[in-house]
Amino acid sequence: MTTLSDLKISEVKLEGEHVGKWGMVIDQDICTGCQACVAACSMENNIPFVGEEDSGYGRAMHWIRIERFWEGEYPEVKMTNQQPMMCQQCGSAPCEPVCPAFATVHSQAEQLNLQVYNRCVGTRYCANNCPYQVRTFNWRDYQRPEPLPNQFNPDVTVRRRGVMEKCTFCIQRIHKAQDKAKSEGREVADGEFTTACAQACPSNAITFGRIDKEDTLVYQMMHHGQSHGKKHLEELGTLPSITYMNGGGA
Amino acid sequence: MLKKIFDWLMQPLGLIAVGIVFLSVFSVAVYGLSATQQTPEQPIQFPHKTHIGFGIQCLYCHPGAAKGPAAGIPSQAKCWACHNQIEKTQTSVLLAPLKEAVLSGNSIQWVPVAIVPDFVQFNHRPHIAAGKNCEDCHGDMSQVNIAENPQVLNMGFCLNCHIETAGEDEEKLIKLTDCGTCHY
Repeated sequence: MTTLSDLKISEVKLEGEHVGKWGMVIDQDICTGCQACVAACSMENNIPFVGEEDSGYGRAMHWIRIERFWEGEYPEVKMTNQQPMMCQQCGSAPCEPVCPAFATVHSQAEQLNLQVYNRCVGTRYCANNCPYQVRTFNWRDYQRPEPLPNQFNPDVTVRRRGVMEKCTFCIQRIHKAQDKAKSEGREVADGEFTTACAQACPSNAITFGRIDKEDTLVYQMMHHGQSHGKKHLEELGTLPSITYMNGGGA
Repeated sequence: MLKKIFDWLMQPLGLIAVGIVFLSVFSVAVYGLSATQQTPEQPIQFPHKTHIGFGIQCLYCHPGAAKGPAAGIPSQAKCWACHNQIEKTQTSVLLAPLKEAVLSGNSIQWVPVAIVPDFVQFNHRPHIAAGKNCEDCHGDMSQVNIAENPQVLNMGFCLNCHIETAGEDEEKLIKLTDCGTCHY
């Protein structure tokens, strides 16, 4: 297998050890592919339903999706593990340098890839450059029939036509937890809050937390012994924040 | 063809026509701009001046500012707590909508004045906790009747204050000028 250092790609930045701040561990062995995370994410983040026709054009909008793979030819088909896929919050993100409007920028404070909706002009370069194909574009102002507008999350912008969007690691929840902790004069505790997908997961396959602190559950899972964790398309030098665990019985 | 039009425009009548067109476009633009700066029509001509004159604190009617994102607009029940003891409430024409709202139970449809766009996530609490006073952004309410914005609440206004507050503190400056602090 080619490692990161074998590649002679000039774009790959190897500035010491990348740590990041917020991270996620997804245990594919216990993910059942039930799509509860997909539904929870749509509810939390005001993601529109594009309808049958636009879905047919490949314009379906989800910030998280369950990828399924199989091995062999029909009828001897063997399903492999389900693979939840969302924005990997790369430390060196391919989407960021291609944006002509600086709408997708790296947050220095939270170490996340931000999408600034009011700056986005809709060139869609970022989506084309994303190796994980996790960015979705608002092709229309999708209608929400009554009473659906009543369940809008007031903490999240309702995006309009012509802007790109993607998973934010539920940054509104991060801010809420930080605000609450600060008002009580303490640090944010591990497990105090989590993302919508992790909260909804019935088998606890998704764990969210700080990856720059050693006493968090996510850090322990990432660094436990001979970890089975791996990061997706790491050889591209994207430095993702999400670790996938597969085939190790946790 | 173009030369013909140009020649017609250069004669005195043409110049007057150009002047009239320019003036009408200009005046419509000025009117449009001034319309955006008007304080909105409120259901009750609420005098902030009078209430502050009685010594009522901002946080008595807008307690959310100290606790969470929205400062909140008081319900008519809060108004009524004081106003039902005031004789004038029963007879005043200006207060008739309040009396009507309390009797019918329908809420008063106040029009928000200090608003930010949907893509800005503003939280009052950290601003109050950082020692900001209401009048720093909303102006001196003891001088106005119906609430109005003393300045345009735009990103430059926010950022100027954020940078000033951070001062020499590098970590604070990163946090306070991060896009993701307000836009998500």
